[in-house]
Amino acid sequence: MAGIKCIHCNFVETLEKQGITFDGKTGGIPISRSFKHKGHNPFLRQGLLALLLGVVCAMPVMAAQIQLPAIIEPASQEHHVGKLIFVELVTPDLAAAKKFYAGLFGWTFRDIQDGGTKYAEAFLDGRPVAGLIHKNVPASEHRQPAWLSFFAVGDVDAAKKVALQNGAKMLSEPHSIPDRGREAVFADPQGAVFAVLASSNGDPPDVLAAPGEWIWISLITGDPETNAAFYQTLFDYEVFELPASEGAQHLLLASDNYARASVNTLPANRPNAHPHWLNYVCVEDTVKMTAKVVALGGRVLVEPRIDRHGGKVAVVADPFGAPFGLLEWPDTESKEVPK
Amino acid sequence: MNILILRWLALAFVLCTLMFLLSGCFFPGGGYGYDDGGGIGAAYYEPPGFDYGGWGHGYQVAPFRGGDHRPTSRGGRASARAYRSAPTSHSMPSIPSHSRSGGLRSR
Repeated sequence: MAGIKCIHCNFVETLEKQGITFDGKTGGIPISRSFKHKGHNPFLRQGLLALLLGVVCAMPVMAAQIQLPAIIEPASQEHHVGKLIFVELVTPDLAAAKKFYAGLFGWTFRDIQDGGTKYAEAFLDGRPVAGLIHKNVPASEHRQPAWLSFFAVGDVDAAKKVALQNGAKMLSEPHSIPDRGREAVFADPQGAVFAVLASSNGDPPDVLAAPGEWIWISLITGDPETNAAFYQTLFDYEVFELPASEGAQHLLLASDNYARASVNTLPANRPNAHPHWLNYVCVEDTVKMTAKVVALGGRVLVEPRIDRHGGKVAVVADPFGAPFGLLEWPDTESKEVPK
Repeated sequence: MNILILRWLALAFVLCTLMFLLSGCFFPGGGYGYDDGGGIGAAYYEPPGFDYGGWGHGYQVAPFRGGDHRPTSRGGRASARAYRSAPTSHSMPSIPSHSRSGGLRSR
């Protein structure tokens, strides 16, 4: 069947459909610089193709869904709403952060990279303990790295609804990550940032953390009472009052008959302090570990001190300023009393 | 190269750039230095200056140990709380005490 090519868009059409009668003399495609096939619309055709090309180009940027491992292997089938189940660090120097935490806690790493995103999954004895994300800080922005806390929920979208109804601000809409689960990020009514995660493989079991694992979390906030009410509504916590100095308020949040977090008033006269969650890693000797932090390039924010459980706690920062706590959990026999 | 392909590529580049810029407008939480890491994980920076001074005597953050009795609050208000206080019959909870191997951890 003979054909003819449109000179504007290379569209090839049969002569019959174009209403051209082939006389059989030229024996091929007629040469005509003025031929334009029926329905020719160069802008529509080129525009659609360009749009398709644009979407294809933009997709990797807009939806970089790389594969992240589950937070627990094998699947646990356990669910502990309100429990701290994962933490992620954002850092401007992934290699240096890995070196610091490997030296401090013996964590090992598996690098995951897709497009412009660099992610390192941290493991301790083969168990995932944290995720580290590389992100540059523009020189014009005065920001510092931080650990983001992920709390277990059964339904992220339902949690979003409750959080927003009770004064939280949405920072990242619920989204699913293959193998990991569904997550979302919020700022609570006082501004402390936290995340919720419905883990695909269930939640880690309720066992005592080993040295190098996350053992505790505290919320330091300007209004412990209002914050406790918010998280109670969100995670159905039991709230216990704790002794505190005059003008301060210390609370404890619990679920499944286990203590999950403490809530403390921001110390007075600290104008630069802002509400935030602080995560603690279990250590065998807080004093030795703070010295190690300094040796590895970090710094001590709160010197080791005896806390209510009879062990020492300290607050330190990694070389890029991300704060975290150290908490030793001694045997009952070695329990010390705060002076 | 065919002029048509060049025109399509130019259009695609413009559209791609526009979509990228528009997607940036929809990333929420800019005030927190937050972005979603391009769809994976989460990435946020805190405002500068964590200030951990002022942890005076009595400023305690850790959990109680199992078996500790439930203390009486001295600093908080006694009534009209925003949250529901745990029933007084509930003892003070602690963190899990069993190790992964099943027994109590010993050192």
